[in-house]
Amino acid sequence: MRVLRHAVLVLLGLVWLAPTYLIVGNALRPATEYDPADAMRPPTDFALFANIGEVWERTELGPSMLSSLLYSLVSPAAAVLLGALAGYAIVVLRLRRGFLWFMIIYGGSIFPFQMLLVPLFVGYSKTPLYDARSGMILIYTAISVPLAALVMRNFFGGIAVSIFEAARMDGASTFRIFWRIYLPLSWTAMAAVFILEFTFIWNDLLFGLTLTQSESTRPVMTELSALTTDVYAGTPVPVALAAGLVVSVPTVAVFLLTQRLFTRGLTLAQV
Amino acid sequence: MTAQNTLLRKAAPGDTGPRGPGARRPGRGFALFGRFRPAFVSPAVLLVAVLLYLPFVWTAWLSLTRYDGLGSPEFIGLDNYTRLLDDPALGTSIRNTLLWVLGTTVLPVGLGLLVAVLSYDVKGGGWYRLPFLLPYAMSGAGLGLVWGFILQPEGVANRFLGFLGMPGADTAFLSDGPENTIAMIVVWTWQQLGVNMLLFVVGLQSIPRAPIEAARIDGASGWRLFRHVIWPLMRPLTTVVFGLALVASLKTFDIVWVMTQGGPGRTSETLAVTMYRDVFVADEYGYGSAVAVLLTTVTGLASYLYMRRQIGKEDR
Repeated sequence: MRVLRHAVLVLLGLVWLAPTYLIVGNALRPATEYDPADAMRPPTDFALFANIGEVWERTELGPSMLSSLLYSLVSPAAAVLLGALAGYAIVVLRLRRGFLWFMIIYGGSIFPFQMLLVPLFVGYSKTPLYDARSGMILIYTAISVPLAALVMRNFFGGIAVSIFEAARMDGASTFRIFWRIYLPLSWTAMAAVFILEFTFIWNDLLFGLTLTQSESTRPVMTELSALTTDVYAGTPVPVALAAGLVVSVPTVAVFLLTQRLFTRGLTLAQV
Repeated sequence: MTAQNTLLRKAAPGDTGPRGPGARRPGRGFALFGRFRPAFVSPAVLLVAVLLYLPFVWTAWLSLTRYDGLGSPEFIGLDNYTRLLDDPALGTSIRNTLLWVLGTTVLPVGLGLLVAVLSYDVKGGGWYRLPFLLPYAMSGAGLGLVWGFILQPEGVANRFLGFLGMPGADTAFLSDGPENTIAMIVVWTWQQLGVNMLLFVVGLQSIPRAPIEAARIDGASGWRLFRHVIWPLMRPLTTVVFGLALVASLKTFDIVWVMTQGGPGRTSETLAVTMYRDVFVADEYGYGSAVAVLLTTVTGLASYLYMRRQIGKEDR
């Protein structure tokens, strides 16, 4: 029984590692030496950095990574703050019909994004928001708020009311209590939401396709997807694989550095 | 997502009613500050209303019109919806979407559960799980890009299968439907197993030890232990993980768009891809909106039915 268990795990693990090997191995290979017939053989030369250099030269992946970094830092931060403010009003200040307001905010996350695309595209086109960084930050913030509100509301619900009352006795203002007591108390929840939403926005393709056009505003996944279309036809396989790896670096780093928080975020987001 | 609503109703304290010992209704001190409360919620509500709800309603309206993005929408009643009924591309798209639902609820969730159960109490389980976590770090677009190259005709995958002497070495993975959809589901499984496994491991590690120990003492082990003790204990978690996979699979877009753009000849489109293509490639804003409404209806209905069934089970 024990042996069978280990055998199944090792076998499945090897099956899973094979594509990983093919991807990484061929991303390391010099672009000129690539031949599908030899794809299984380990690379003889280490050319990953040369391939990445090639990515930088052929595509606009560099600038779009910067844009995506901006979007995926600013929008989750704003969303967490707005979600926390809402959660505070609903749970701590006991806003009248709080549950209804909460459901209105949270309900925004229920329908597929396809339901938003046409009006956003048409509406953005009529304003300076189309193909602008501000427009991207705005929509990314909006789609991040519901989850932030959910988690922050649940988290604030677990903080004793007596803390609020004591601070009130001491004469602290409503906002000060929020800023100086509730926010610092809930930083783990905020960080967990932030990390989840960072990953989500970094990986977004759809809004980038719909609402941006120029290289300076395009998020990274949208730029990456262009590698498969005819614009970049003729990109050598090792270069494309290297591109696929490079764009994953931030999310891998975040995931590895914060694995526990990340997992916590996943669980918080579901219950 | 709706799947979560009923759960959070139970889990979320604080909206109404007393909150345990020492709780009391806010007194006069609170009322004084009551007028500030709306100021705290309104930014979130405003943002969601303008950027999510307003477009939602607008799309619903556009689905009743003919509109090419220029000029103004022309009201045509339910014509877009009757057109949906005999659009062959939509039939393929629905079939593919169902394949995605079936494939991704069975494979990544099922295999994720298997790996989690096999490895959660094994020494060095973390190392066993590592191969499954590596792919999870990749985005849908990155995944589509690298696998597009691997699966291209005469590409790495064909050579690799030939190298191992396995069947399928001459399959053109992305050329015909529904094979291309199945190939992409396999790729998706390769990526998504990790996250499902992670959630199951967390769940398994947090279930109480006592009933398991008791069952062990009574002589249960292996499959029987899992089937009759562990499985029932982790039911709430499986409900959520399965529900999330279900809803996500209905909205599959990124990987398909990057790998095949729904082609060749619209054979690998999902509903989400069909909507995007109708609007932004064919400039049929009204018709595309009708597809979006269909997608939303299907997603909503699926989550509702799934939740109702699950809650029904809990009550029994």
